[in-house]
Amino acid sequence: MTYYQHVPFRENIPAYALGALDAEEAAALESHLRTCESCRDELDTYRATSENLLMGFPPRNPSAALRRQLQRRLPSEQRAVRPRLHWSFSRVAMGIAILLLLALNVFSITQVQALQRQQDQLISQMQNGQMALEMLSYSNTQTFRINEGNTRGSLLLDKEYNNAVLILRGLPAIPANQTYQIWLISPNQDRVSAGLLRPQTDQPFIVEPIHVTQDLVNFVGVGMTVEPAAGSDHPTGMQIFRIDF
Amino acid sequence: MTDLDDNQLVARVAQGEEWAFLALYDRYVGRVHTLTLRILGEPMLAEEATQDTFLKLWSRARFYLAERGSLLLWLLTIARRTALDRLRLETRRPTLSDSKDPTEAWQTIPDGEGLPDENRWRSVRFALDALSPEHRQVIELAYYQGLSQSEIAEVLGWPLGTVKTRLRSAMEHLRQEWGGR
Repeated sequence: MTYYQHVPFRENIPAYALGALDAEEAAALESHLRTCESCRDELDTYRATSENLLMGFPPRNPSAALRRQLQRRLPSEQRAVRPRLHWSFSRVAMGIAILLLLALNVFSITQVQALQRQQDQLISQMQNGQMALEMLSYSNTQTFRINEGNTRGSLLLDKEYNNAVLILRGLPAIPANQTYQIWLISPNQDRVSAGLLRPQTDQPFIVEPIHVTQDLVNFVGVGMTVEPAAGSDHPTGMQIFRIDF
Repeated sequence: MTDLDDNQLVARVAQGEEWAFLALYDRYVGRVHTLTLRILGEPMLAEEATQDTFLKLWSRARFYLAERGSLLLWLLTIARRTALDRLRLETRRPTLSDSKDPTEAWQTIPDGEGLPDENRWRSVRFALDALSPEHRQVIELAYYQGLSQSEIAEVLGWPLGTVKTRLRSAMEHLRQEWGGR
């Protein structure tokens, strides 16, 4: 290559060393540099010149905060910070998990208890229903109709075997601090308690045996009143029905 | 302070030793920051570029090869590219041809031995001050603002040929001044 062929490339070397050559010219020069040692040497001297330009200013320190900021970006600081956050997050997560498990446990126990109560009630209803069916199938059983206001039903009475069952529907709603109480009525009109009745609201009808502690032949009737939740030793509240037999 | 030289320290940095990294930071942050501030003008932006430069030192220390030049020049080369990238981002200027990764673009950096640091920057400063205002202006726009010759022509409203001539002349003057260093 003659000197004159180098000229257009040589002229561009100072600008290239500064990084100021436009893209097309830079590509052409780079291509030339790959095959031209003298131009590479020329470039080295200009590169040294441009790199001296990096040194042209007296040192000037940034704010002291920058060093601390930079230090925080280093792995040891990251590790120091991350485990704290991680540990704190883990603890919170574990606490939440424990609380959820406890809540789930309490909920499960409550559900099991509720199911147990329902099961007991169903068994009791089934047994009462069974008892009523047995009494109905027995020829000596007497049936008395109940028809007082909205309350309808029957009293099944078997004096021979000393059994009595009430079948009721349409009992009026009563507050939580009250209960129904069943009374056996003696010939002289004395009342003897024959049990408390607190019907479930979702039951269409109630089959409730009367708790007989004395011989039924000693009584002339059955009644029901509304009493305080714990029951009374004699009727004090509203009468729901009375049946004489 | 440490008695270890740059090469020993940068080798420790490559092994992940933070004290060595901070020692190099303390040693060169003033030189790096003055360059980023010169390019960006805004102290906050310059601090960000300075921080990015040292983070690159931390992550790329293993790529440093002492036989290719001094650590300071390597750092300043990274600092210039980092600051120019930031400047382009701030001014939405297109990336220029010399904005390759500094560690890739870094080929042969002179060792800078023979002149103590302070004498060196004073001599550089003196040579720059000795340029005519027009010559100093094209050097300023090309090297510290990262503009190409055609961009300089557009900014200054000069013919492209004039820019090329002045830039070539300014560089030749500096080369003579520094004896090809």
